Amino acid sequence: MTASVDVRANVTETSLVDLLDRLLGVGVVVAGDLTISLAGVDLVTVKLRALICTVRESA
Amino acid sequence: MTPTYMYAITRHLTKRQVDSIRGVAGSIVRVLDGDGMSCLVSTVQLEEFGEDALRRNLEDLSWLERTAREHDDVVRAGARLTATVPLRLATLCTDDRSAQQHLEEFGDAARQALAKIDGHDEWGVKVFADSQLSVFDGSEPVAVTGTSYLQQRRQHLQRREYSTSQALREAEEIFESLANLATDARRHRPHDRRLTGDERPMVLNAAYLVERRRTAAFRSAVDVLANSASGVTAVLTGPWPAYSFTPEPEI
Repeated sequence: MTASVDVRANVTETSLVDLLDRLLGVGVVVAGDLTISLAGVDLVTVKLRALICTVRESA
Repeated sequence: MTPTYMYAITRHLTKRQVDSIRGVAGSIVRVLDGDGMSCLVSTVQLEEFGEDALRRNLEDLSWLERTAREHDDVVRAGARLTATVPLRLATLCTDDRSAQQHLEEFGDAARQALAKIDGHDEWGVKVFADSQLSVFDGSEPVAVTGTSYLQQRRQHLQRREYSTSQALREAEEIFESLANLATDARRHRPHDRRLTGDERPMVLNAAYLVERRRTAAFRSAVDVLANSASGVTAVLTGPWPAYSFTPEPEI
């Protein structure tokens, strides 16, 4: 183990942003809208700007 | 109408294998079978997952975090049992019949994805440009005359820029050399500094699909690269279910 690689990351709690990168499939962006599919039903648009502000505050 | 929430498509699983798994909002996870594959699903309430409710809830950070972690728990439980292709957060169908239809439509892509990710984990590698930046940031120009102040200021900014582009090059080299050890690789968008709360800019946010028997080799490569590359710090995350390698269903 070296100082430059934080290998502990795989045992500590997963960061929400890393998780959302994966679960939302498009990466977390600071501005812009995100479209989530409601399979075969409809599309939901989320205003990510508000979301990111909250992520920041809770970090 | 009670919507069906879909978590992942897996190789065939029995009802019994999943009976202790809990889903989002305390729901009970079930398997739907189709075409020799299974889909992990649960029934959720329209009041929480209907279109209007979802629109509202996705903007509520505590709801989003709880739901994301519950979704992740189900996907990880599936991945511990068999090859698992994760689906995106809030993949909802009107009912089981509609979910089954989607499973069939997605069948060939899902089968290919299952074959590809079988025996693999996803690993994340984030690379940050190092503290040279903050050293320069700290050495603000001290000149007294306007002209020499501007000169120093320009040099200061040039050094900063140079150092960032150097870090980007290092990150690109890291991305490529690690990709050689992986079955597949892709880039996520680097996180904004406002998200990381770190003054060092993130120059790479990559995901790798790594064969399990090559895990040790991959991890030590991250270690070696992070040490040989000057001016960057690499952070490894994982193992993850193969989230970044799920084919996009056509909508």
